[in-house]
Amino acid sequence: MSVLEVSDLTVEYSSGGYKVMPLKNFNLNMDKGELGVLLGASGCGKSTLLSAIAGLLRPTSGSIRVDGAEVVGLSGKSLNDYRQNSVGVVFQAFNLIPSLTARENIELVCWTAGKSRAASRDRADQLLEKVNLADRAKHRPGSMSGGQQQRVAIARALALDPPVVLADEPTAHLDYIQVEGVLNILRRLADDDRTVLIATHDERLLPLADTIVELTPRAAPAEAGVDHRKLEDGEILFEQGDPGSLVYTVESGLVQLFRRRDDGSEEIVNEVTPGAYFGELAPMFGLPRSATARASGPTVLTGRPMTDFRAQMHLSKAKASEPLVQS
Amino acid sequence: MAGQGNSVGPILLASLRDLQWRSRRFILAALAAGLVFGVALMMSGVANSFTIEIRNTVSSIGAQSWFVKTGSPGPFTDPAPFPAGAVNAVRHLPGVTQAEPLLVGRALTRGAVTSSSHQVPASSEKNVNMLGVVPGGVGSPQVVKGVPLSGRFSTVVDESLGVDVGQQIALNGVRFKVVGLVSGVTYFAGQPVAFVTLGAAQQLETSGASLATAIVTKGTPQASVGGLTLLSDAQVRSDLGRPTTQADKTIQLIEVLLWIVAAGIIGAIVYMSALERRQDFAVLKAVGTPSSHLFVGLVIQAILMALGAAVIGILIEIPMASSSSMAVRLSVANYVAVPVVALIVGVIASVMPARRAARVDPAIAFGG
Repeated sequence: MSVLEVSDLTVEYSSGGYKVMPLKNFNLNMDKGELGVLLGASGCGKSTLLSAIAGLLRPTSGSIRVDGAEVVGLSGKSLNDYRQNSVGVVFQAFNLIPSLTARENIELVCWTAGKSRAASRDRADQLLEKVNLADRAKHRPGSMSGGQQQRVAIARALALDPPVVLADEPTAHLDYIQVEGVLNILRRLADDDRTVLIATHDERLLPLADTIVELTPRAAPAEAGVDHRKLEDGEILFEQGDPGSLVYTVESGLVQLFRRRDDGSEEIVNEVTPGAYFGELAPMFGLPRSATARASGPTVLTGRPMTDFRAQMHLSKAKASEPLVQS
Repeated sequence: MAGQGNSVGPILLASLRDLQWRSRRFILAALAAGLVFGVALMMSGVANSFTIEIRNTVSSIGAQSWFVKTGSPGPFTDPAPFPAGAVNAVRHLPGVTQAEPLLVGRALTRGAVTSSSHQVPASSEKNVNMLGVVPGGVGSPQVVKGVPLSGRFSTVVDESLGVDVGQQIALNGVRFKVVGLVSGVTYFAGQPVAFVTLGAAQQLETSGASLATAIVTKGTPQASVGGLTLLSDAQVRSDLGRPTTQADKTIQLIEVLLWIVAAGIIGAIVYMSALERRQDFAVLKAVGTPSSHLFVGLVIQAILMALGAAVIGILIEIPMASSSSMAVRLSVANYVAVPVVALIVGVIASVMPARRAARVDPAIAFGG
């Protein structure tokens, strides 16, 4: 049985008056001792997924099970117990409390969970020893290097010996010397029969991984070549939030690009006429589609992969005939 | 497996450490709030002095009952003269063991004068409350220094007038020798009392006419005398307090405003701290700290700051009161009340920031 099971997870929230869906029907299974790397560009939903698994964000739908117990729907004391005992989190930018010493940052977690202060202090010392920071126990985060702070943050995540450890961009604020120490510790965590899930866009972490999950697929096989499409009036080409690898040029007809607002209404962001193109940002930056594309009347269009599209652009410029208009 | 985790110990530790971490700011806020507490405490002392001086002055007369002219509200605020000979009728009333006439007036003095310096600057002029009494009779004051009132041009004055036994003062231009001092006998917000003989007071106030504004008695009269109204000590105190009632209410209002200002100072600092610690609170929530503990943590911080301000306020009040030209009278109860009020101020000040802390979304801990 998997230690961490994420099934059909969808997270939708409101941002600036628009509905955003960073995760849609997402699935993940991880076993004991497995180290997974969530790979993807900023804004693709990595931190959202970690927040949901950590019990800090309630998903719109779907299920998260840790050691067989459902996480979605927990509240009050049971949610606090879950956060304390089942999952440890290593935050981006360390997020240590600056007024507390390294020892106190760890001690606080154990003490909050109901251990005695003496036992909490012993546990903190033991973990600082484990991350080779015993001599920095009385130092505040401000007087430690980034790597040292990250190691304290890892020790804090392990304070109550959780079966699952989540790490959000653990190498984002570290130089290459510090990265090595942190990566070693993260790998050792998984070797201790713990399930470790790391969200990152740092590909140096890939050799560590037992499982790699790309949250924004680089290219969908069906979209690999040139795609000639004919759409009827009202037919949807792609939805906001979908992954995308093609740039579309309208040959005839009209395409409306719109976003859905919180209240369910639509906001037309552009109407693309023949000769103009749209949808270039998703393949260029590995982002989900930022709007939905819908035909307005019978429409013919051509989808090209980024490389083909660039070549077409050059050809068009060289011919200097009917220049393409950016949408 | 962890236990229940109900202890507020961890959040208390975090709150104390944060106070240390941001100590300069908290000390400055405590000093500012402490100054406000000190001023509020001094205002309490001024208001107290109104009550105490009335009690002292009325009791310094040593009367058990007072007769004033019918229609007069009391012997001090609106003294109405009547023939001093009415005392004979009062002495024969059942229940009266002793009775004397009393003349209440006001005089201007320029403080001590000597034979070589008759002229003193006008800036040293002081109003005094002049009480003409029968030496050795009811109303004759008990001195704390010197000898009791005796000769026609002798006077016993309150020590707040700033003259000593043996010196001379001029009251409305007439010289009197200070033979004794009394303590704490003032009214109308600290104006000192000068006791003179009834005859001298009549010379200054009524051009020598044998008039009085009150008859004071030992024993409780069982009847009254025509044209006069009998007043108890309590009624006389009430009469004497009337002119300062409005001032007293104003002081109370200012006191409340000062407490609110102190709460505002503490609240603003704690609120700022809560805003800066948003990420910390999110992390604490993410590791399982209940929201209620975060709330308690900020309340504790505000209370500690308010108590610190209370101590500073008490320390500041002492030199402020000693340099004040107005009497400031504070009891132990007043001092004890300061930390109690500070506690309440701290709790009130912390409610808004504490609610904000408790509502922090733990998911922001994932923010870079």
